[in-house]
Amino acid sequence: MEARSVAEGKERRDSARWRLFALVPVVLLVAVVSLFSARGGSVLELVGESPPPADEVDVRRVEFSPGEIRIRVTNPQREDLTIATVTVDDAIVPYTLDGSATLGRLGSTTIVVPYDWVEEEPIAVGVTTSTGIQTTEEIAAAVETPGPSVDGFLGYAVIGALVGIVPVALGLLWLPSLRGARPEWLAAFMALTGGLLTFLAVEALAEALELQAALPGALGGTGLVVLGVAASYLALAFLAGRLGGGGGTRGRTLGGFGLATLVAIGIGVHNLGEGLAVGTSFALGELTLGTFLVVGFMIHNVTEGLGIAAPLAEGRRATLGRLAALALVAGAPTIAGAWLGGYVTSDVLAVLFFAVAAGAALQVVVEVGRYVSRRAPGGLGSGYVVGGFLAGLAVMYATGLLV
Amino acid sequence: MSNSRGVTRRQLIVGAAPVVASVPFAGMALAGGREREATHLGHAATGHAAMIGPEVPAPGGPHDLDPLTYPPPALPHQPGRVRDYELVARDVDIEVASGVTYPAWTYNGTVPGPVIRATEDDLLRVGFMNGGSHPHTIHFHGIHPANMDGVFEVVEPGGRFTYEFPARPYGMHLYHCHATPLKKHIHKGLYGAFIIDPPEPRPPAQELVMVMNGFDTDGDGENNFYAVNGPAFYYARYPIRVRRSQTVRIYLANLTEFDLINSFHLHGDFFRYYRTGSTDQFEYTDTVMLCQGERGILEIDFANTGRFMFHAHQSEFAELGWMGFFEVTD
Repeated sequence: MEARSVAEGKERRDSARWRLFALVPVVLLVAVVSLFSARGGSVLELVGESPPPADEVDVRRVEFSPGEIRIRVTNPQREDLTIATVTVDDAIVPYTLDGSATLGRLGSTTIVVPYDWVEEEPIAVGVTTSTGIQTTEEIAAAVETPGPSVDGFLGYAVIGALVGIVPVALGLLWLPSLRGARPEWLAAFMALTGGLLTFLAVEALAEALELQAALPGALGGTGLVVLGVAASYLALAFLAGRLGGGGGTRGRTLGGFGLATLVAIGIGVHNLGEGLAVGTSFALGELTLGTFLVVGFMIHNVTEGLGIAAPLAEGRRATLGRLAALALVAGAPTIAGAWLGGYVTSDVLAVLFFAVAAGAALQVVVEVGRYVSRRAPGGLGSGYVVGGFLAGLAVMYATGLLV
Repeated sequence: MSNSRGVTRRQLIVGAAPVVASVPFAGMALAGGREREATHLGHAATGHAAMIGPEVPAPGGPHDLDPLTYPPPALPHQPGRVRDYELVARDVDIEVASGVTYPAWTYNGTVPGPVIRATEDDLLRVGFMNGGSHPHTIHFHGIHPANMDGVFEVVEPGGRFTYEFPARPYGMHLYHCHATPLKKHIHKGLYGAFIIDPPEPRPPAQELVMVMNGFDTDGDGENNFYAVNGPAFYYARYPIRVRRSQTVRIYLANLTEFDLINSFHLHGDFFRYYRTGSTDQFEYTDTVMLCQGERGILEIDFANTGRFMFHAHQSEFAELGWMGFFEVTD
């Protein structure tokens, strides 16, 4: 008994020592870093002189209201920036700032310029820093930026519902037909879902990477994308485990309502990013608020409803309430995205959203793949599955052309 | 689908002339110091009237440009008299527009350099010391020996050279660095006005010097700011006071780099323009166009008192700083 407690005590002491040793690298790192910060300059001088900072501002957003232009700028570099002169179409203009003219790292300010701009004509705003470096942002066509109004709020909601919820709900109406389908055809439709989601994942990833490239380096573009993709993939994998966990040992492969929920979530996350893009573009006057565009998105998104319906075709009958819930999960985020895009707009947010969408879609593709490989007559290699998958990609591509 | 960038955008009409010259100056009065509080400005008064006086964002104090604006007096004709000048090339950071500094190369610390003035047949002796970080010269316009031309005798940093030659012909001339790369050495600020007075003195007048220049502060080969005698909008902030009773004589030169031409336009009156100022031939006009290196003498007899604007008639130059006022009083 005594011997045992002695052994235990030794173990505890060992463990404490182990923890203490873990601190050694950290302590040494702090020492080296502080030494280098104090004396490092002379080391760097051996290598050469640093070039001067770029001194360009990052123009985040340009908004127009009658007789006024508002320019939101951020300092993307480590060194301070001081705003000295503002130009509109190559003319120095008066302006006011909502704070100090000197911006620290990632500091932002809004430049307000009283200006009689011309509706629907191109316009270029320039911000010159104290070192004379001018950053110019060209706006293809000046249009009044909608302010936060009840009408606008409702408008975004209606557009979000039209391009998000309605088509998904319509797509779900294919469910009765799917229920009558033969197993190999059902497998084909499941594969089609996989194709749709693969398309969405790749597209969202490309979008995230493209947007991050435009971000100031300090915000850490690619890392943000990797983080978003990984976080959402793992979160959905965890969710998939929970949804299928009840079914004992065989619950590893999701099916039926659980899989449909997962697909709906994956699509919903994607639609959040889509709503964000649409809202932002409308708000900044980059997209014409055309009926054609909304129609294009509707047709495009009907296929998403089909994707959710496919896993439901097998197994227990889903209640209308559950179907409505699925449509909301997949479609409603479009509304939230449109609001965010229309009123807040943050490129960082957009990158993160698209990265999250890519990760979510990828995870659902994996889940769908597992399901198909287990259930499809002939497995993943069957003609129905391969054809369905390719058809899914093709359908997304073709309807995407409408947008 | 997810967006936006695929959607056709209208092409920017690059280089389109500014639509209404006056508009951007609206409410210039509200652009005060460096720390500004946001206020809703609404639609401030449009027109140039708002763009005058202490609210104009121009660097410098009220008399900073006096040595460049008001030339030394003309001396009577006295052949062989020695006129000594000392020019030192120095690298100096100057404020070319409100809050914007530019690493300039200067003669005696200013851009443009000091006004050099002599009477025809004076012996001009200009001592040049290169205190800058690059090789420089002084190239004078006018008639002089080849070895005084400031082309071959490049003065290395720390070096000295003395230019010595009889001043002729009379007229408005200029001087500038002729080291290569020429474009860089000129637009960095190494230039100035060089006046040679005729043997027969010109009639008395209120004399002014205006050297038109520009600054490319971000190195993209296009000027970000334009002005006369240095800083943007200086004479809008500090109008030049003249009397109606006496002729106003302006020695005008164009040393703008990058842009092929510059111009001078006077509001509310006409002037006699003597191209190069070396003959008595003149043109009666209110607008003159000058090529790079071109210069002349303007004589204005103001008919009215009040504030009269002068500026480049290239609207873009005017709105980027090349604009000022005469305050004409009795």
